[in-house]
Amino acid sequence: MGKPKFYDFCVHAVPDGENTVEQLAALARHFGHSGIALANHSDKLPQSRPVLPSTNEFEVFRGIELVEENPSKLHSLIGKFRKSVDVLIVHGGSETVNRAALENPRVDILNHPAFDKSSGLNQVLAKAAAENDVAIGLALRPLIHSRGPRRVRLLSDLRANLDLARKYDVSLVLSSDAMSCFDLRSPMETLALAEVCGLEEDEALEAITTVPERIISRNRPVPGYIREGIEVLEEGDYF
Amino acid sequence: MKRLLPSLRAKKRYLAFELISEEPVSRGDLVKEVMSSASSLLGDVTTSECDIKVLGFEDWKGIIQCSHTKVKETRASLTTLTRVNGKRATLHVLGASGTVKRATEKFLQNCTAFEPEIKIKPRTAEE
Repeated sequence: MGKPKFYDFCVHAVPDGENTVEQLAALARHFGHSGIALANHSDKLPQSRPVLPSTNEFEVFRGIELVEENPSKLHSLIGKFRKSVDVLIVHGGSETVNRAALENPRVDILNHPAFDKSSGLNQVLAKAAAENDVAIGLALRPLIHSRGPRRVRLLSDLRANLDLARKYDVSLVLSSDAMSCFDLRSPMETLALAEVCGLEEDEALEAITTVPERIISRNRPVPGYIREGIEVLEEGDYF
Repeated sequence: MKRLLPSLRAKKRYLAFELISEEPVSRGDLVKEVMSSASSLLGDVTTSECDIKVLGFEDWKGIIQCSHTKVKETRASLTTLTRVNGKRATLHVLGASGTVKRATEKFLQNCTAFEPEIKIKPRTAEE
């Protein structure tokens, strides 16, 4: 087995965040990531589609973080953006939005599910997430920027979600949710923080290596792909 | 006072790090921030077990000492460092080693390859 490839699946660049894609990509590469997903909030999209710098060792994936309060509008936004992005993230934060996101198999990740007095998940939603293969996003930015009671609250929400995710076998994605290059963290430090916050070593590793890889391979069908489970292995003249 | 026998001394790990920040920071400010972010994340009891010390810091690079059983906790607490002296900063651990000499040789002396990126960051943030 080679060295694992690390991904950071939620990074915000200008005009949503502060720094440009090039700066974020250069720093993430320096930190040892193999790829980042540029996921600007859908209410702050740039006028034109940004050109993504990519080399063969480092890739910038096209992503989006949808912000929408109304579930039916959210579903239509998902339909609108699904074809053009590799990673589709929903910014949760209310019961209806969380539910709409987790019950839609076209969504990849649900970020920030917590809302007042609730961690954002329950057994019904966790089951739906497992069935539709929607990952729960664990964002580092709120954790590293808050102190005291606020961080205590975030950590206990994280633990509650973690228990549910373990029971119903929901996948997790660790991301920096960086608004500027000072919010980016290297993979090893992300892992250390995740382990201190209650994740097991293998869970944390999976959350920044295999789960992101699976999301990408699901959304970028290999040549010959027809639908789930059906694939043309050898091209030939059959008729 | 008589020095402890080598076999009785606490085992250490030395973390080589680089600091990426908006403005140059002094060692004193960095030490203050490292200790406060550690005690905020881990609590005073675990922080004392970690035995964190900033040994040297100059030219954006330095070495932090910690207990050899608490490397993970130390790294996690360094991850939560966001500001030094009110200016935004990130601490990136380059690697861990059992001796200061090896940590310096392995991680600090030949990292000229990363130089441009380290230099770019402070400038870009001010723009």
